[in-house]
Amino acid sequence: MLRILLIDDTEKKVGRLKAALVEAGFEVIEASGLIIDLPARVETVRPDVVLIDTESPGRDVMEQVILVSRDQPRPIVMFTDEHDPSVMRQAIQAGVSAYIVEGIHAARLQPILDVAMARFESDQALKAQLQARDQQLAERKRIELAKGLLMKMKDCNEEQAYTLMRRQAMSKQQKLIQVAEQIIAMSDLLG
Amino acid sequence: MNNDTPTTPLAWVNGSDAPEKHSLDIGFMALSDCASVVVAATQGFAQPYGLSLNLKRQSSWAGLRDKLVSGELDAAHSLYGLIYAVHLGIGGTGATDMAVLMGLNQNGQGINLSAALQRQRVTRPEALEHFVHQSRTKLTFAQTFPTGTHAMWLYYWLASQGIHPLHDVNSVVVPPAQMLAHLQAGRIDGFCVGEPWSADAVEQGQGITLATSQSIWPDHPEKVLGCTRAFVEQYPNTARALVKAILAASRFIEQSPENRRSTAQLLSGQAYLDTPLNSIEPRLLGDYHDGLGNHWHDPHALRLHDNGRANLPYLSDGMWFMTQFRRWGLLREDPDYLGVARQVQQLALYRDAATAIGVPCSEQNMRRSQLIDGSYWDGSDPAGYARSFALHALAQTPAALARR
Repeated sequence: MLRILLIDDTEKKVGRLKAALVEAGFEVIEASGLIIDLPARVETVRPDVVLIDTESPGRDVMEQVILVSRDQPRPIVMFTDEHDPSVMRQAIQAGVSAYIVEGIHAARLQPILDVAMARFESDQALKAQLQARDQQLAERKRIELAKGLLMKMKDCNEEQAYTLMRRQAMSKQQKLIQVAEQIIAMSDLLG
Repeated sequence: MNNDTPTTPLAWVNGSDAPEKHSLDIGFMALSDCASVVVAATQGFAQPYGLSLNLKRQSSWAGLRDKLVSGELDAAHSLYGLIYAVHLGIGGTGATDMAVLMGLNQNGQGINLSAALQRQRVTRPEALEHFVHQSRTKLTFAQTFPTGTHAMWLYYWLASQGIHPLHDVNSVVVPPAQMLAHLQAGRIDGFCVGEPWSADAVEQGQGITLATSQSIWPDHPEKVLGCTRAFVEQYPNTARALVKAILAASRFIEQSPENRRSTAQLLSGQAYLDTPLNSIEPRLLGDYHDGLGNHWHDPHALRLHDNGRANLPYLSDGMWFMTQFRRWGLLREDPDYLGVARQVQQLALYRDAATAIGVPCSEQNMRRSQLIDGSYWDGSDPAGYARSFALHALAQTPAALARR
């Protein structure tokens, strides 16, 4: 069963939305009002989806969304009365997976949440790919740096330096990057 | 200079052949012939081609197959026969189009007998043949996957000794790393498995190595880098980059005996084979002893590169496994041997990748070999070849065999 953290800025709306969600078969955890410690709240509750119902997604809401999607990535669905396209763009940029203008219809909840979760997963996969690429580039730079240092220390060519580093790594059951870091640290020490 | 790192760092990664996917989950089984994959992933062979390889050790071939088909693994160290069985729809999954990106190795598997059989002086092929045909008890042999290479080597070898593998003995499936435990417990009398598990049994005084796979077919095809055809079609640049990285690693391993020795040390680590160096290193360097006091340096020991000869995915290599599926009744009818091999073996992609990093490639798509029973295989008449054997199960229903 999907666990939903429900956040709203008006008490009367929460009642209506909560009833609809429970009826649709979700586990709903409420947080009344737009709470300041939203990231911490997400951390404890560990919801599958964060649902925000707000009259106007102002600056504060966006700020909180940014924090949640940075530290505790979760699909975030926002229900609002705000029709302004620029606000919508701002929300999507801030990490909102689905942005629903106008009121709540219980029958529409499931497909909306499904789309939000699918979109979130593909965003996460994309982010992971980008991170992997950044890490490759970073590792490669460190390995090249260590190789250069070793070429100077051992007065050897590039291929010999790589081979020495790899043999050392393999015989210690380590990765090449670990040996590269050791060489860089040693070189710093010896100045 | 035989340098496996592009000399203009970072430049081409943004070019038109940049990989579409940068982080790949690569499956492997704890076997010596996974070496090129492990070395590529851990020793900086993938980053220059814009890839990160995340190694995912699997505990059974069936599990590896399921994850490969579902897409949970992007590519994997795979049995030749496993890829073809999935492609042809033999076994526990429906037919899924598969691809062989490159060969990972030739040789390096072994057939062992238990210490109990050794005590009964069953230590030679003729003695085994005699025992099988005279004794009341039916021996049980283990292999690693119903359509895998080990099943095919075991069957081929037994048949070459006059033992029908499906009638004269029982055959069961056991994951490689568990062979020794089952042998010790007396649940199996022998097995066919990849190193280091054959050497490990001998090392621990649990029986003998009766035959090596290279004695059945010197320089036989064995493991491949396998993936779904959908993966190659969706991520062609990634697939090419992956072949470059692993090919470069295999070249590095075979550059010197020191590199081979360090590779053995890496493989013995907990995250990989988790096995003592003594069981891995000797046969990785070609030094064999069989548990009977015989020592030899094997000229056809495990080959991970052999200047590219071990890596080219020859059509005839893939076709051979289909001929054996047909021979043993796993295929009820002749497939389009050549047509299927042309779909599965990614020869053009391999040749692109190999040429780009300076690994020589044969122009030939087929190769000719002589096997232990004297027969020749060159891919020219697969249907005739499948029917050419005295011992076979051509009429047998596949259901009994494919059962797992």
